[in-house]
Amino acid sequence: MAINDQAHDGARVRRPRSARRSALVAVLSASALGATAVSAGVASASSRTTRAARVAHASPFLACEVTDTGGIDDRSFNASAYQGLQLAKAADPAISFKYLGSTSTSNYTPNINTFIAKKCGIIITVGFDMASATQAAAKAHPSQKFAIVDFTYTPAIKNVLALHYDTNQDGFLGGYLAAAESKTGKVGTFGGQDIPTVTVYMDGWVAGVRYYDKVNHAHVVALGWTPKKVRTAGSFAGNGLFTNDFVNQTLGKTEASTLMAQGADVIFPVAGSVGLGAAAAVKQAGAAHYMEWVDTDGCISAPQYCSLFLTSVTKGIAPSVKAATLSAAKGTFAGGNYNGTLTNGGVSLSPFHDFNATIPAKVKAALVSLKAGIISGKISTDPDSYPAG
Amino acid sequence: MSVLEAALPGPSPPPEQHAPPPDSRLVSSGRIRGMGTFLVALAAVMTFAFGLGVPSSDRATFILTAPPAVNVAPLTMSVRWVSIVLAVLCAAAGLWLVFRREQRASYLVFGAGFTLFLWSFLTWVARGAQLNFVQMLATTLISTTPLVFGSLSGIMCERSGVINIAIEGQFLAGAFLGAMIGSVTGDLWLGVLAGAVAGGLFGWLLAFLTLRYGIDQIIAGVVIVAFCTGLTTFLTEQVLTPDQATLNSPQTFAAIGIPLLDKIPIVGPVLFDQNVFVYLAAVLLVVVHVGLFRTRWGLRVRAVGEHPHAAETVGVHVISVRYRNVILGGAIAGIGGASFTIGSVGQFSPQMTAGLGYVALAAMIFGRWRPFGALGAALLFGFCVSLQSFLAVLNVGIPSPFLAMAPYVITIAVVSGLVGRVRPPAADGAPYRRE
Repeated sequence: MAINDQAHDGARVRRPRSARRSALVAVLSASALGATAVSAGVASASSRTTRAARVAHASPFLACEVTDTGGIDDRSFNASAYQGLQLAKAADPAISFKYLGSTSTSNYTPNINTFIAKKCGIIITVGFDMASATQAAAKAHPSQKFAIVDFTYTPAIKNVLALHYDTNQDGFLGGYLAAAESKTGKVGTFGGQDIPTVTVYMDGWVAGVRYYDKVNHAHVVALGWTPKKVRTAGSFAGNGLFTNDFVNQTLGKTEASTLMAQGADVIFPVAGSVGLGAAAAVKQAGAAHYMEWVDTDGCISAPQYCSLFLTSVTKGIAPSVKAATLSAAKGTFAGGNYNGTLTNGGVSLSPFHDFNATIPAKVKAALVSLKAGIISGKISTDPDSYPAG
Repeated sequence: MSVLEAALPGPSPPPEQHAPPPDSRLVSSGRIRGMGTFLVALAAVMTFAFGLGVPSSDRATFILTAPPAVNVAPLTMSVRWVSIVLAVLCAAAGLWLVFRREQRASYLVFGAGFTLFLWSFLTWVARGAQLNFVQMLATTLISTTPLVFGSLSGIMCERSGVINIAIEGQFLAGAFLGAMIGSVTGDLWLGVLAGAVAGGLFGWLLAFLTLRYGIDQIIAGVVIVAFCTGLTTFLTEQVLTPDQATLNSPQTFAAIGIPLLDKIPIVGPVLFDQNVFVYLAAVLLVVVHVGLFRTRWGLRVRAVGEHPHAAETVGVHVISVRYRNVILGGAIAGIGGASFTIGSVGQFSPQMTAGLGYVALAAMIFGRWRPFGALGAALLFGFCVSLQSFLAVLNVGIPSPFLAMAPYVITIAVVSGLVGRVRPPAADGAPYRRE
């Protein structure tokens, strides 16, 4: 925007080159779309895809994934869904798989349509942002099977399996652990975007911190997310710190630095690969600064930062995508909504890895009983059940 | 909303009747009056919103110490009284501008007045809490550094008459190759070199397409960005991802404290305890400035950018000057790209530059194609990024999308209000044909 405005201003002043600068305006605005469209085409021509295509002639079932803008290698939900497809193939060699990367939101519908034309047995769309594109495609092609990661349709759609995860449950456990491990009495979180699938994590996490304060008479403060007092169920509204995209790692570094500057010593980024920027900042901050990773076990997806991760607040995207793919291949696919919880193992706190020895047994025991309490419904994951630190 | 409202310029200066003066550094008296009026308006906001609008018991604390600087006690202020005192000073600066209309000191006085406003705003934001002011300035440099490289690249190219829209692409190429070479060899300086080579290569491509074949410079630049975006995304998936540990896990440059200087309170940790990219940017800034405006080489470059035919008649080889500058410019952008990976997060991921190449281009234009002007615009942008982050953490209640907009809105509002008309090099963007 900045360039466009300036160029336009310039065009009015200068006489001979005004046409050229106007061309700049036009081209720049076009490039925002054009560049991404071109690159999307290139990105999709992956060897993994072609290798998958080569074995496709032997197999009757093709599973296809459309990633969101984070890309297939985001160490987070796109990668997890892809891992789900790999697991499905391992379980049933007759399955082959492909994916298309989206470099901007304008790629969603074309990518879905490409896969419909390729007669994919099931199309996995990844992310809340793809909900409306998936819904439109599912309505237009009622015999095509879909699964979408991170969404719930009300009412449910017959040919779409919506995979949703109550990550406030394991987020709550992560928040409790963060509060227990904080030496400064401050912990911080930030999100990629202010959308429910992100804020649900932050919400449970803040609730966990507040619960820690309540039961231990402590005063640990959670920075970066303030849940709204009055809100409708499932909205997870509030005010907080967001990068507003899932690619700008420089901004992720800025956000984490800010949280640490304001005293936080445990950082929980809920922003996919942008969290890697936060990890760089935490590593730079040195000893006594920790993190919790999101979506997947960070020690497996980003092993270079394993020594920073107290734990990871994960959701079982890979197993549920695997199950959806296998059911579609076997012909037992049923649309509707799936909800991952602590109860069914759809969400969970990952192992402590490097911190297994340093986290006190008392805290570990508390996490076990908290988990049981959340499953039984005795402990609320709503931050408003507890006074704000 | 208060940030946005605060950022809106005051009454715009009346349209000028005559043609702009040839030297773009001169400021019209209308603009000075506008700046003065704006400061008076800010003083009113400070008095009523930040001063009288808060209880007199509200205190704000600024933390002024960060390692390795010597310890300074935190500064605790009464929000109301600090704001009112600052408002009086800010109004005085504004009135001085309105009535004296001094040409030379006008920017300085305006800058001082605006700083007073920021100070007051920050005390208001931090009321009842602590604000780590030193870290806020240090965080500013995270996003400023790549912008400085990017705008220096743009200046190198455009001063010789070639528009470099491809900075974003050269960033990506430099980030990619810098990470890969830095990771494979384990030598970060080789990574910097690789970044420069990658950027220089795409600088050469831009020069080749536009100077040899006369392709429109903007079209060529946009194509290069699209190509680099696609290529780096493709290669990341093809090459880096399968062997992440070897190919895409470089170390990063650690911060190097400059002895003694890094002990200075506030300034030390911000400026003298940074990694090599920050120091490199500072050195390049001076080199490019001195080179362009104080050397024979710079005179020739500017002659080629302003009036290539005249330069040719006195024996300057226009095409080779342009080739050299565009390649050098590309290399500078490539080093800036490497700062994203081996200077910051320690791995490449697709599109990680997130459009900062275009922001760098804007900073160059706002800075009037001058290195230190571009630095000013880049610092303002970086500060606003840092500011929005702190505002969100301090929970001022501004919705996150508005905060995310703030760096762009404030940069545009402040800089366009201040800079006004800019004049690019006369032959910028024009293909050169010998007659």
